[in-house]
Amino acid sequence: MAIGKIHSLKKTLFQLLLLAVPTIIFICFILWRLNNFYAILDNEWLSQGLYFAAGCILAVGLFSYRFRFITITALVLLANYIIYATIQNVTIGEFDSFYASVKFYIFVILFSAGWFIGYGFSRSKYLTIIWSVLLLIIEIVLISKTADITVSSILNGLIPVLIYSFYIIYTTELIRNINEDETHFGWFVGKRLGAFAIVLLILFIAILSIFKGNFTAIEKEWGGGGKGQAGKGKGNSESMTQKDKNGGVSNKDQSKLSGSLNKDKQLVFVAKLDNFFENSNTPNPLYFTSVYYTKFDTATQTFEIDDKVPYNDLFTVDPSKIPLYFKKTDPSIIKKSLGVLNRKVVTTEVYNVSMSANSFVAPSHAFYCQPVAVPKEYKKQYQSAYVAKMWVSELNSAYFIYNPAGNKDLEHFQEQRFNLLRQIDQITGPDKAFMDYYTYMPSNEEYQKIGTLAHKITDEHPLPIDKIIAIRDYFLSKDELNQPLYQYSDNPGIPGLPSANKLNYFLFENRKGYCAYFAGATLFMLRSLGIPSRVVAGFLASDRSSKNPGWYWFYQDQAHAWVQVYFPEYGWIDFDTTIPDVNTQQAQQPDGTPPTDVPATYLVIDGTIVKTDTIKKLVTISSTKILYHDTEFVSKARYPLLTDVSLAAITSDTGEVSLKQLKNGIHVTAVSHAEALKTIYLQPNDSLLTVVNRLSKPIPVDEVKIITKEDQTKSKDTEKEKTSQPIDWLTVLCIILWMILGLCILTLFYPWFYWLYLNSKAKKAYPSVAEKAYHIHRAIQYYLNQMGHSYKYLGPEEFAYRIDQHYGTGYGYFNTLYQKARYSKIALTASEAEWVIQFYAPFIEKVKQQIHFKNRVKHFLNLYHTLNYFSKPKIN
Amino acid sequence: MEETIQIEQALANIQKLVDNIETVIKGKRTQIQFVLTALLAKGHILMEDNPGTGKTVMAKTLAHSISGSSDSQGILFKRIQFTPDLLPMDLIGSHIFDDIKKEFVFKKGPLFCNFLLADEINRASPKVQSALLECMAENQITIGETTYPLERLFFTIATQNPVEMEGTYPLPTAQLDRFYIKIYFGYVDEATELDIYKDYLGIQNSLNTVKQVLTMNEILFLQKETEKVFIHDEIITGVRNIVRGTRSHPDIVLGASTRSGITFLKCLKAFALVNGRTFVTEDDLQTMSRAVLDHRLIYRNKEARQKALEQVVSKELDRLRKLNLNAAN
Repeated sequence: MAIGKIHSLKKTLFQLLLLAVPTIIFICFILWRLNNFYAILDNEWLSQGLYFAAGCILAVGLFSYRFRFITITALVLLANYIIYATIQNVTIGEFDSFYASVKFYIFVILFSAGWFIGYGFSRSKYLTIIWSVLLLIIEIVLISKTADITVSSILNGLIPVLIYSFYIIYTTELIRNINEDETHFGWFVGKRLGAFAIVLLILFIAILSIFKGNFTAIEKEWGGGGKGQAGKGKGNSESMTQKDKNGGVSNKDQSKLSGSLNKDKQLVFVAKLDNFFENSNTPNPLYFTSVYYTKFDTATQTFEIDDKVPYNDLFTVDPSKIPLYFKKTDPSIIKKSLGVLNRKVVTTEVYNVSMSANSFVAPSHAFYCQPVAVPKEYKKQYQSAYVAKMWVSELNSAYFIYNPAGNKDLEHFQEQRFNLLRQIDQITGPDKAFMDYYTYMPSNEEYQKIGTLAHKITDEHPLPIDKIIAIRDYFLSKDELNQPLYQYSDNPGIPGLPSANKLNYFLFENRKGYCAYFAGATLFMLRSLGIPSRVVAGFLASDRSSKNPGWYWFYQDQAHAWVQVYFPEYGWIDFDTTIPDVNTQQAQQPDGTPPTDVPATYLVIDGTIVKTDTIKKLVTISSTKILYHDTEFVSKARYPLLTDVSLAAITSDTGEVSLKQLKNGIHVTAVSHAEALKTIYLQPNDSLLTVVNRLSKPIPVDEVKIITKEDQTKSKDTEKEKTSQPIDWLTVLCIILWMILGLCILTLFYPWFYWLYLNSKAKKAYPSVAEKAYHIHRAIQYYLNQMGHSYKYLGPEEFAYRIDQHYGTGYGYFNTLYQKARYSKIALTASEAEWVIQFYAPFIEKVKQQIHFKNRVKHFLNLYHTLNYFSKPKIN
Repeated sequence: MEETIQIEQALANIQKLVDNIETVIKGKRTQIQFVLTALLAKGHILMEDNPGTGKTVMAKTLAHSISGSSDSQGILFKRIQFTPDLLPMDLIGSHIFDDIKKEFVFKKGPLFCNFLLADEINRASPKVQSALLECMAENQITIGETTYPLERLFFTIATQNPVEMEGTYPLPTAQLDRFYIKIYFGYVDEATELDIYKDYLGIQNSLNTVKQVLTMNEILFLQKETEKVFIHDEIITGVRNIVRGTRSHPDIVLGASTRSGITFLKCLKAFALVNGRTFVTEDDLQTMSRAVLDHRLIYRNKEARQKALEQVVSKELDRLRKLNLNAAN
């Protein structure tokens, strides 16, 4: 008995190929993802995928015949049950039995799922819709399990499901509705699927590009992605500092306003600040600046560093790239600081504990950086050290900046500065660009609201300084219930809508925040009043050591943000409007002693290692630059200097390293504190060579610092950046879309281009009429072919006859002449030749006249015609 | 110069001939051309179709057009109606005892003529068929020890009913090969058919009044001229490709022989002349391929008969069409 078929073989094949195979691939993908989250699946997604595939393919094949679903499925289930029962009986031991039955359980579930899906593909109309919804639910569950929430991870999860859902619903309908007798069946399906893919792609790209801003904002909100990778792993929180790859701490490149602030008690650095009140031993602390945030990105609500600042007064330097004891200075900073009054040069020594080696912090307007060696006994404690010099405003003493918050002494003290600044009744910048830049406000309604508030608070104060004080006091003011209007909180909570303006939320609703909120709000208030200002990120200095005056300890919780305001002639003046955190206890007292006995340095050699003797511990450094008794000698020629490193401490950016690290070709700085050198004084007219010659060989060296060459690290960094850069799916999609678009355009327009080519060839003059006739013939044939007149299986004469019948042209006669020119020994007569030459243009014109332009375009776009032209007749 | 004029004269004559025949056989121009092609190529033609499609009339008209209704010009037109009981002797002739001379004299049969209409050839027994076909191939008859050459102009128009009909002895492929061209007559289109009915009585009359437009000498001259028709090398290559193509085509069991290729070339030349040309074109190649090759091929099935040859020819035409022959010079 033959079993009747429901679907033809062709249709079944299409179901398998276009529905079952993509589904199986997709299921494998889902299973693979599921395997990442559920231990029970045991990471066998491939075999699990195969279970599903077996069920699906079997069902599609079976149900293309006239089988009944219920009976067959019942039989399959029965078979499953019997196997299950057998497993229970056969396996020995409870554990084995449990293990085997669990495996079988998974198999049955997947196989049955495949079975149902296969049945649905074959018979059901609505299954695919239910199936797609189910998949979406599964995917959403999966995403909710994902720990790191970034747009790309969500998209990576959702896009395949969405695409698959669209695809499967569309294709099912397509296959259901196809006419199986259609000769170009495959082409028909392919065409539609291709168009479908393009539409889908455009849709996704449109969505992604339109909402990209929102996505990134959300992403930042959730603390992942973007530049500030530091937030990752901590989840929904924000930190004023970031950790680099070596675990070093630095201020972040950007500061976001977010839900909560993480604070650590980790010691970041220790600094000796050579700044005391005049004629006293009272230390005068200064805030340490790291970066200036001059820009606020409204889309992402993030403060950003801008390199295109007018009068860029930020000293950017990487201490780890400067050879020990050599210095880098940028005197233009002094000029760009725009401060002339009450300024002085202050020196600081920074001993880095956990800060990243390449970051540089110093009080405002540093212009000098000289890395120095950490004394031997402190090497374990401090990674590196440098000396910095700053052009400091006396008005920027921390005591001036601190928010007094009711402290009368402090308020009284600060009056000095305010009185000085009250002399300025209007702030004018050095030029318009400067003012425009530093008073820029986003024009949103939300920012105008801040402006309105600012005016309300400050309108009674005509002087800029009083306006600033008014704003500071506003944050400290009390409400009608005599409760503080604003509170300091590391966890201010986030606004209900992520895209809502957080500053507005802070100012008008929540009234809780940490330094970045206060600084940010102050910034916009000031800017709305036309006062040039910027946010500074750095470290708050507090004098906590009475034992060691001038020494300051900086812990991670001292990372801070405050506001700088520009006053003409005085330059940038710091203001801290953040209200004190009443709940936080004082940080622990710093322990340990500062590195005091810094040995005198007599000789510093900067150069490249050319020879190493590991047994005698001698290293030859080829040098062009030395420091001797603080005098720098530079020569054009390289001198090999033999040094004794047996007692030397070898350090690199990351701390102490072994002697083995000294290899040929690396850039080092060798430092000698040897007493022997102390007495060999410099003589006038000394050069590098004369100095070196006077020294005993080998030169004893106490420290060697490995300096990775700047360009090398740079290239390494860029490489790293390249590799670590997350794939921008939007760009990838865009590129793919452009490629597809290009290909489409090429395919669509190729017939037209080819016609232009043939047309131009036909119009060209040729030495022989025969050749001209050939090109005319070719162009005409192509053109007519594109217009839907295929010459396939027709002789030229018959073809010409038909064309003449259709268009009333003289193509038949042309063909006769053409054939004569081609195959006869007799040349065309002069009149015939003339006729041939004159034939072409009017002919095309005549054909064109009879086909409407719209139809011509349509004909040209019809790829069938082109395919027909280029295809060779088939011999089956 | 004189020759050119002669050729032009001849070409004009052919046109006259075609026109003349067409006054009788309406709507069969292609078939007329094929018949003339076979004539000029010194070959023979086999016409196949159902009875009553005008095969015989065609043959008669052609003969009359050349010889005239009276036999004054010496063109001998004979017609043999083939039947199963026909003997070879009835064709060739036989020795008859002459009472007066007291010896056997050879009495020439109907084969000794210029135009032979072999009607319903497939109704004759194979013995008769092969006798005829041998004559056609050799152009001579050998009886006993004597060899009798046939006429200088010897042209056979054979007709046959479709092979499937009852009481027929299908011609074997080897014998079909002797016919240069095999054509299907086919029914005329409706308008022509109406015309024919309207003056059906006139056909017989018009046959009787068919004018003689060409003489035998002119035909012989044309046959000579046929050989001078120019065939471009690429067309010869085309013939080669088509012939070889039939051998390698998966749906053709038996492809065309080399002899059929030669026949093909001859027919091409003749066909060009019939069409008033002194050179062969792609169209000739296409038109002649079916007429010349179709009956020599054995196809795998009926469907293949429709397509296989056409595919081979189309492929070749496609090649020729895209060839820039004049570019090299």
